[in-house]
Amino acid sequence: MRIAFVDGGTYYHHATYHDPELRPYFSRNIYVLDLPTADLSDVDCLYIASRQNPADLIAAHDAIAAFLAQGKMVVAWGESHAEQWLDGVQWTPGATNFWWWLEPGADSGLRLKAPQHPLFRHIQLADATWHRHGTLTVPDGAVSLIDAVEGGSVLYDDCRGPGRKIVSTLDPCYHHGSYFMPATTRFLHGFLPWLKNGAGEETLAAAGV
Amino acid sequence: MNPSEILHLRAISHELPAFVSRLSERGIRSLSLRDITAGDIRNSRIILIEAHIDQKALLTFRDDLAACLDAGGTIVFNGHLVYPIFDGLETFRVAAGRGVNDLIIERCQEHPVFSGVDCQDLSFRRGVAGFYARGANPPPAGAIVLHRLKKDGSAIDWLWQRPQGGQILMHSGNTMWMYLNDKTTAARIVPQLLDWVMAGAPAMTANGENNACA
Repeated sequence: MRIAFVDGGTYYHHATYHDPELRPYFSRNIYVLDLPTADLSDVDCLYIASRQNPADLIAAHDAIAAFLAQGKMVVAWGESHAEQWLDGVQWTPGATNFWWWLEPGADSGLRLKAPQHPLFRHIQLADATWHRHGTLTVPDGAVSLIDAVEGGSVLYDDCRGPGRKIVSTLDPCYHHGSYFMPATTRFLHGFLPWLKNGAGEETLAAAGV
Repeated sequence: MNPSEILHLRAISHELPAFVSRLSERGIRSLSLRDITAGDIRNSRIILIEAHIDQKALLTFRDDLAACLDAGGTIVFNGHLVYPIFDGLETFRVAAGRGVNDLIIERCQEHPVFSGVDCQDLSFRRGVAGFYARGANPPPAGAIVLHRLKKDGSAIDWLWQRPQGGQILMHSGNTMWMYLNDKTTAARIVPQLLDWVMAGAPAMTANGENNACA
């Protein structure tokens, strides 16, 4: 899988893309302002890192839709308002509790929804557990990988086509690139090798996804 | 200082509306990085820059930022510096350790922006360390270090009078105005920062006798 890292120009995008342990997973870097006119013929997956300016991605809506129409893949992380630039996404805002884990016996509110999904051979729920920024409505036919107890998904895989979309309200690149929250680093160290190796497409059907 | 000469450069995401309201109350402009011109920067005497700023875009205004400084201006920069936006400055270096004891902050020099702010309230929020800073944008020679990480000496806040003119107040962590609504002494930063910039961001001179880290 040839993955392009869509870069919003922030320090945390820079730190994630240039992390020597993660850099091999990305084929190239595309600055978000260049995305609307970028030649994506050598790219199989757009990895749209967390915390981007929605307006920049709204400007790239047609390029993203055309990319998906070719049967390619988009991974869209949290805090970028994907509902404004990625067709079919519905986001429900929610209060983010950054402090839940300080309470004894605390419950993150995250639930593993599709343990058979091939991603979970690479990460565990604990690796996806820090906090969430709202929830997503899972489109009919898509598969939620992680649900929130209040309803909705924080990570789903939508293979219905055209193309494939993995959409999340998690924001791993921001925290990894800020050297903050070790789970986000573990998450990327599991997710990116899985994505690079084809995102388990050959095993999705076998897993009943 | 005429507040129209102060410019807050808004990040493109993760904005803090409460801070923008405080700026508005004082008549200070707050513009998105996507909407500014070179003239907006060159005509400003003081520029406040968010940690979540698009540094690639900011890099295209490099000469304009230098011109602002050369004319005696002040830039307050938050975040990890990762692009060569300012001549003479090195990029961010993460601290050697990431444990609680690695992230305790100590004050080296008093400054009006941080007057009465307890370093304990910078080091911890609700008992959690690491919000304030996790490394340094290394200070150039001549910079006055205000705060550093006690463990490894990472200089996280410093003030630099540039030889060519102007000054940079550097904070190598999340935006210093994120503490605006904290119920601790850290909430003093925003009003004191705004008082300082409204007073024209008066320069301080190094005073070795008052340097607690010396």
